Amino acid sequence: MIALHNISKRFGTFAALNGVDLTVRDGEFLALLGPSGSGKTTLLRIMAGLAFPDQGQVRFHGEDVTALGVADRKVGFVFQHYALFKHMTVLDNVGFGLSVRPRKERPPKAKIRSRARELLELVQLGGLGDRYPAQLSGGQRQRVALARALAVEPQLLLLDEPFGALDAKVRKELRRWLRQLHEQMGLTSIFVTHDQEEALELADRVVVMEQGTIEQVGSPEEVYMTPSSGFVSRFVGDSNSLPVDLFEGSAYFHERPIYRLSGETGNGGARLDFRPHDVVLDAGGADALPLLVTGVYRRGGSWRVEGTVDGSSRIVEVDVVADAAPPAIGSRLGLSIKRARLFAANGAPQ
Amino acid sequence: MEIALKEPFAARRTHAQPMATRTRKSIIPGFGLTMGFTLAWLSLIVLLPLSALFLRAAGLGWSDFKAVGFSDRAMAAYIVSFGTAFAAAIVNGVFGLLTAWVFVRYDFPGKRLLNAMVDLPFALPTAVAGIALTTLYATNGWIGQFLDPLGIQVAYTPLGITVALIFVGLPFIVRSVEPVLADLSVEVEEAALSLGARPWQVFRYVILPAITPALLTGFALALARGIGEYGSVIFIAGNMPYKSEIAPLLIVTQLEQFDYGAATAIATVMLLASFGVLLLINVAQAWSRRKVVNS
Repeated sequence: MIALHNISKRFGTFAALNGVDLTVRDGEFLALLGPSGSGKTTLLRIMAGLAFPDQGQVRFHGEDVTALGVADRKVGFVFQHYALFKHMTVLDNVGFGLSVRPRKERPPKAKIRSRARELLELVQLGGLGDRYPAQLSGGQRQRVALARALAVEPQLLLLDEPFGALDAKVRKELRRWLRQLHEQMGLTSIFVTHDQEEALELADRVVVMEQGTIEQVGSPEEVYMTPSSGFVSRFVGDSNSLPVDLFEGSAYFHERPIYRLSGETGNGGARLDFRPHDVVLDAGGADALPLLVTGVYRRGGSWRVEGTVDGSSRIVEVDVVADAAPPAIGSRLGLSIKRARLFAANGAPQ
Repeated sequence: MEIALKEPFAARRTHAQPMATRTRKSIIPGFGLTMGFTLAWLSLIVLLPLSALFLRAAGLGWSDFKAVGFSDRAMAAYIVSFGTAFAAAIVNGVFGLLTAWVFVRYDFPGKRLLNAMVDLPFALPTAVAGIALTTLYATNGWIGQFLDPLGIQVAYTPLGITVALIFVGLPFIVRSVEPVLADLSVEVEEAALSLGARPWQVFRYVILPAITPALLTGFALALARGIGEYGSVIFIAGNMPYKSEIAPLLIVTQLEQFDYGAATAIATVMLLASFGVLLLINVAQAWSRRKVVNS
């Protein structure tokens, strides 16, 4: 179990992390999700021992490791740009961690080579041991980097945007494969990403970060369906966010009632967030939102329709089942919002 | 090279096809023009004077050439010249690398000033450097007076020559290594550390192989400069034949006696030896680079 207590880190005047608390369970696959500058990579580097907090404590299984450097923490670290040793063969790259061990703990050369070969088999690069990193594709390089990190048998695998530099198709394959590997090896894995789709697909739990603090920690389903703040709602998954006025149980957008609220909400300004798929076509409804279609494209089994609402230039995105022809550009759709969440105008939950 | 090799094929194709569809050999234009200029320029600046030197030396005839170019005194001078240049280049290799490392990795007040000072040995007239060093290292000099009781003679010995060559050669190493070191990604070092490598292992197995080609470049430049250096050396060397006489001085001595043949003979031997050494370093460099840039 990894526990972080009240971690703070500043770079000059910029507060990268502000009193972060986090507990990671054994065997968990955890995603640190956030925009750039949210502190997610700094947090990962602090866990690895590649950076040190100005304040706070890092504990591995109850033991305080805050002051230990990366070499003494027994973690595997995978970098976004692979960071392979260019002048070494793939096999030597993978065996590096074993070959730099102190003489007493170092396995014999033949053993290191056979262990490196096993790991290359594991990452499905069996025959490529004698190549140099420059002769491999991006996906292959990242798998070499992973094999290299696994060679030292870490308890904890840390990955800094591991798929960031790869093209979409390779990324998807590698993602699925990494998930399998994680389960097969019984690792605790933490990865950093700014891609919410990646986080939702891979992780057991997602940590959403913004401006050096944790906004929400939860399962992908919790984070997607019950975001704790306007930021999480907009950052995780597609979301429309309209400024509304609340009055007698309804949300008004440009003086038009667009959503009936359940429960007591009071009156005043707020933001109404809803997912593109949480709408139904309903031309005649009382709370219908008239959408002037400005663009349409296919997104799987739906049309993703972009449009503006009368009296506003704000773009709204909705999904319409693609069992008919796409709505024409310039036409009007009546929409009714099935499910929405209300946040204070400044983004806090309401 | 590749372009030149393809030439006959491209030329052959033009016979079968109209000129207009002739394929371009390289996307970068101007190969013919720039290559022509390069060859002409090299011929004018390097090859022409050198061939004049060879011609003059050839005028001696083989037995005379051997008698002058390989005389005992000349051989002793070659050994002093190449030995001290090697020693100085090796010392510079170590401390130049350290200097470059400090400039690249750390920030400290006065860094720019110190960095500018590295180039001073380039700018200073070499004779001035020679006189200054001699003053420092003479037995009654600032540094010499402390070394003398220890039995260390610097001025007027090969050690003094080495000191002078270290002075003039330092910038070569620092300036060759610095940009390569700055380009090294910190991530690669962090990766090595995360795999449990100790700092010296990171240096030995990760950093050093990456900067070896640049280090060899700097070494070759410092060595070449050291072999040919004259001004800064003659003041501190003492110029005793068979002991502290460098080959360039021997050449000048011959010139002063209007024995141009002997001067060119010694110069030719030196030149060929230098060329051989530099070629060797180049081969070593190509070998170390092949591993880094592979494919």
